[in-house]
Amino acid sequence: MKPFTYVRAEREERAIEITKNGGAQVIAGGTTLVDLMRIGVMQPTTVVDITGLPLDTIETLPDGGLRIGALARNQTVAYHAAVVQRFPVLSEAILAGASPQIRNMATTAGNLLQRTRCAYFRDGVSQCNKRAPGSGCAALDGYNRMHAVLGTSEQCIATHPSDMCVALAALDAVVHVRGAAARRAIRFADLHALPGKTPHIEHALAPDELITHVEVPASAFAARSHYVKVRDRSEFAFALASAAVAVALKGKTITEARIALGGVATKPWRALEAEAALVGKPAAPAAFQRAADLALAGAKPRAHNAFKIELARRVVVRALTEVVGGQR
Amino acid sequence: MMNLVCVGSAAPEVAVDGIEPTCDRPRVIAFIRDWSAERERGDDIAMMRAELRGLGAELLVLSQDTSWSFGPDDHIEKLGCDLAPAIARLADRFGVAAGGEAVFVIDHENIVRFVHRASAPLPRLVDALAAANEAMLTTRRENAVLFTRREWNITALVTGFAFVFLSACRAREKPQAPSPAPAPAPSAAEITIELHINGKTRALRVDPRTSLLDALREQLGLTGTKKGCDMGQCGACTVLANGERVLSCLTLAVMAQNKKLVTIEGLAQGETLHPMQQAFITHDGLQCGYCTPGQILSAVALLAEGHATTDAEVRTQMSGNLCRCGAQPNIVAAIQAVRRGGGR
Amino acid sequence: MKGDIGKPFDRVDGRAKVTGQATYAAEVAVKNIAHAIVVGSAIARGRVVSIDIDAAQKRPGVIRILTAQNAPKLRDVVPDPKKGDRVLQLLEDDRVWYAEQPIAVVVADTLEHAQDAATSLVVRYDAATADVALEPNLSRAFDAEDLGPNGQAASARGDVATALTTAAHRIERTYRTQVQTHNPMEPHATIAVWHGDTRLTVYDSTQGIFNVRGALAKRFGLPPENVRVISHFLGGGFGCKGAPWSHVLLCAMAAKAIRRPVKLAITRQQMFAFVGYRPRTIQKVTLATDRAGKLLAISHDAIAECSRFDRFVEPSGLQSRHLYQCDNVTTNHKLVELDIATPTFTRGPGLTSGTFALESAMDELAYEIGIDPLELRRRNHAERDDHEKKPYSAKSLLAAYDQASKRFGWASRPMKPRSLRDGNLLVGWGMASVTYPAKQRPASARALMRADGTLVVQAGTQDIGTGTYTIMSQIAADAMNVPFERVRFELGDTMLPETPLSAGSLTAASTGTAVKQACDKLRALLEALRTSPNQSWADIVAHAGRHEIVAEATANESERKKQHSCHTWGALFVEVKVDPALARVRVSRIVAAYAAGTILNPKTARSQYIGGLIWGIGYALMEHTVRDEHTGRIVTPDLVEYHVPVQADIPDIIDVIQVPEEDLNMNELGVKGIGEIGMSGSAAAIANAVFHATGKRIRELPITVEKLL
Repeated sequence: MKPFTYVRAEREERAIEITKNGGAQVIAGGTTLVDLMRIGVMQPTTVVDITGLPLDTIETLPDGGLRIGALARNQTVAYHAAVVQRFPVLSEAILAGASPQIRNMATTAGNLLQRTRCAYFRDGVSQCNKRAPGSGCAALDGYNRMHAVLGTSEQCIATHPSDMCVALAALDAVVHVRGAAARRAIRFADLHALPGKTPHIEHALAPDELITHVEVPASAFAARSHYVKVRDRSEFAFALASAAVAVALKGKTITEARIALGGVATKPWRALEAEAALVGKPAAPAAFQRAADLALAGAKPRAHNAFKIELARRVVVRALTEVVGGQR
Repeated sequence: MMNLVCVGSAAPEVAVDGIEPTCDRPRVIAFIRDWSAERERGDDIAMMRAELRGLGAELLVLSQDTSWSFGPDDHIEKLGCDLAPAIARLADRFGVAAGGEAVFVIDHENIVRFVHRASAPLPRLVDALAAANEAMLTTRRENAVLFTRREWNITALVTGFAFVFLSACRAREKPQAPSPAPAPAPSAAEITIELHINGKTRALRVDPRTSLLDALREQLGLTGTKKGCDMGQCGACTVLANGERVLSCLTLAVMAQNKKLVTIEGLAQGETLHPMQQAFITHDGLQCGYCTPGQILSAVALLAEGHATTDAEVRTQMSGNLCRCGAQPNIVAAIQAVRRGGGR
Repeated sequence: MKGDIGKPFDRVDGRAKVTGQATYAAEVAVKNIAHAIVVGSAIARGRVVSIDIDAAQKRPGVIRILTAQNAPKLRDVVPDPKKGDRVLQLLEDDRVWYAEQPIAVVVADTLEHAQDAATSLVVRYDAATADVALEPNLSRAFDAEDLGPNGQAASARGDVATALTTAAHRIERTYRTQVQTHNPMEPHATIAVWHGDTRLTVYDSTQGIFNVRGALAKRFGLPPENVRVISHFLGGGFGCKGAPWSHVLLCAMAAKAIRRPVKLAITRQQMFAFVGYRPRTIQKVTLATDRAGKLLAISHDAIAECSRFDRFVEPSGLQSRHLYQCDNVTTNHKLVELDIATPTFTRGPGLTSGTFALESAMDELAYEIGIDPLELRRRNHAERDDHEKKPYSAKSLLAAYDQASKRFGWASRPMKPRSLRDGNLLVGWGMASVTYPAKQRPASARALMRADGTLVVQAGTQDIGTGTYTIMSQIAADAMNVPFERVRFELGDTMLPETPLSAGSLTAASTGTAVKQACDKLRALLEALRTSPNQSWADIVAHAGRHEIVAEATANESERKKQHSCHTWGALFVEVKVDPALARVRVSRIVAAYAAGTILNPKTARSQYIGGLIWGIGYALMEHTVRDEHTGRIVTPDLVEYHVPVQADIPDIIDVIQVPEEDLNMNELGVKGIGEIGMSGSAAAIANAVFHATGKRIRELPITVEKLL
């Protein structure tokens, strides 16, 4: 690890002041940053400890939505009564990720900003446009079994690894940030960037912007929501494919639907056409299958990950089947 | 007139029954009036062994009543009891006055490398060994003692000994010292931190990059917490922070302050094992033992979390602790036994 | 006391391990230690043109940086394959053989400083195209010379070609197995302390302290007695800590160069790089039977990958030579050289990969003929080892079949795949025969009776989690009729009597027999000094005016053993549940019966068996080290990309039946090793169960989601 200056920020303004000039990173749980610093992929000159900031509360909003502080830890969010009862997909998704120890350390904001597990990104020597812009993408022709089939470009096919983000994408979360000059609210779909020609740009935050909290709006579908994840072993592994789904029903008819995919895309992936195709349809296999097909339409396989397309379809169908059937 | 045995001179032959006169490995010869291995605390003996390993040396303690010898990894041997006259003669040849105390470090070519003489009783023998180790790292160029940040508490001692070291008479040829650091670039600023571990507060200086795991293992002598991957993927480094299970490899030491930390060394109450520790033994929830401290602390936290009751739930929530030997089923059995038995 | 053999004592080292007091190699307290790290090559093939150490040397705390330019040259040593010596990379030249090959060692005052300095090294390479793909290179396969300690590379009896022409049933199948990386929980670590120029103490995480001593002595030109290797506890080995790898020698080299103790621990990523692994294999198995399903011919052809600079052969054909009754059997082993590091003995070498092929083929054969897979095994039971042409020392295989199948409920198994369900999950039942060689090598031990009544027993062996401390104490307590609590067993130090490395499931037999014989000798010595019938051992010692009485013994394989073919036996029955849509496979139930002669401690034995079974689950379903075919680099170099089974993968039911068996042909204690038998047959039993559940026959491991979608 390269040397860095450690600073503890007692106020948000201090953190922002340091990060706005670039070269600095905030640290909270450390589960992403310490790992990437140790393998040399991230080398901030200053590390700003923001764990002392009062940003860790979880509150229910008057309209039934949820306000989750940036520093609320994954484990706390996952077991919070309001989350479990009214936004179950969020709880399930968090608990499907990482390990209890990591979830005890990892924060909401940190989870949003975690970085890809692509082996070529992490090894520090391979061609990687994300780590070293312009150097190429070793995954295109390399071993890409864990890589994305949606949202890719010829510059980058790295998968976004977060489970929590898939649920927040499905729930239309809004990320609130504070910068040196202003605060703003970022729709979840706008938070993460597609790689395009600039894989090194992963999100919409400016260097001076600090995530303060995430709001999850109340909705008719949030309570009937569910997460299904398929991986190579039962626990503590990243997704081969996952889906966060939510439906609102009137009788047996779907009135609103949300489908987001994980493990298969370069950012948490909302399947908008699939969602639209479910509205007004009976909650039954035929509709689920059609939605699944639409969700993966346009998926681009590489040498080793073509299976993800079929797998993701089946995961969508399974998630919708289970959420409607009340199984979780 | 006493021959002044000093740094750089050849050491006198040790003509005492049962001890080799010279040998091809470094030795520490300590003339101490009254010392017995049987009276030393286990911790101090362990520290002496660590110092001896650092010196690559064996230790001879020549005392009036009894004498002792041990290598760092050997049983402590009591030498014959009727050696007092021979020892007195030897002390004389080393220039140690009757009733005086001194410590000599002699290298593998029988050249004296470190000397400390005192007319008052030495601080603990382990401190003298520590000073010897530090002196061996001295860089002559700077006329200063390069001590590591770990040995704050013997700074004063070291300075005193260094004076003796440097003011000793000239050697005809100084033997090669161990490699000192070449002119070092300024290092990352070290920070003084306080960690609350197992009910005690420990102050230490750390590089900001130092993980809590490395601080425990390398600086605080708490090696019970294990390094399996250093990347947060195996759980062997699990410790408790305010009762919650966390990974010490991904925790910067500087960020572990202001938390109540518990490591495996802090679970037992004296000789009484924590019920989880006992259950792991009874149910054979361990084989090689390397994942075991992390498993036990993780299990203790699991029960405190209260989210697991069935075997399947326990398994799911213990999946952050890898075991390569196959103790998993027995680990679950141990945890369930404690959960049902209502252990603390 | 007498009768302590066979009791389920708690591990004597349990307390040390649960309190964090057990000291592993990197934890030995050594003051003023310097920290070293190994820097590995970014390329897999070619040359290191230059390593510029200028910037790195100026980094804080740096003490020395060793590269091929400045590293002292150690003695040239011809590796002794019998000792499992490997050809190492010790900074001798600029040639790169594999990715992450050691090319530099950075030594600093702290670990952080060493890691930091390493990032400032400027390495220039002349990279050649790396060739690491196995399938395209099969035309380059050549016959292996031999199987190292496992004998001849090729075997032939009878006339397979003719037998094939008369067969009523015949199958020919090809099976593929993947790279499996040992990944013990403790990364290799070494501390080297020189005492002057000619004596060395090394604290090492090793399964073979005498192997390490031998390698260090030879390389540094020292008499072996000047090198002391200590390994009281190690955090798993599984074969990757059998012979010393490059970093051990590099650590001692660094310590000598800087005249200060050096600690070198390798990283988890490096554990995929240069400490060995189980190689990929491609195995072709041909089985032919008569109408009644009796085997007329077996041929087992195995190809494995290997490095370009050393030889290791995964002996996949071993069990096929003798496991089933058959007059016409051929086996052979070929190698393909690639730009990869050398593989090595990996828990259950040969039998882990080979039984996957053979026991899958037997299952396929059973379906081909239309008879129950267990029945096929029974029909081909071999009473005698026709390969070694010897009687078996004991063979409780039929009892294992009976007991395990009954406990499992195999009799109610419908032959047809996809017949069993649990909700929407497909349920499948599969089985395999289990066998593992039972070896014994010369070992020595010492027993001391102290005047205070303590019995100290010493042997320079290792406890890799196997329970050596405990079972040896039991043997001694039993032999001397001394309370178990008064026995202290010491191991892990080359100052103690020499024993073989802890591998090959041979420690219990080898060192156990030596302990027994040393205790017998001690008893005889004490008896000779007895002056009254009521004297305790302690009294006898004190009465003789001594602190302790000592006896030593060296135990060899007996003549009786040499006349027999010695193995452990078992039968394994596995139930899997498969989610048909999502292709998730879970092993839900295992019943395994093992017969292994005298079981010294049924509690630790059960743990050993289960350990092997869980490895089998990993090997069958999820473990896979992958190399990038363009760069030759490993792209799964950590524990989140390489999947060892986690707690949640463990079946709800693992039922181990310990079949009583007496095997005094093996040795006087009737003891056989059991560390690896759990691997044997397990991948096949799981794959056979997956076939039974889904109707899909998977012939390539691991059985991952895409193979079943």
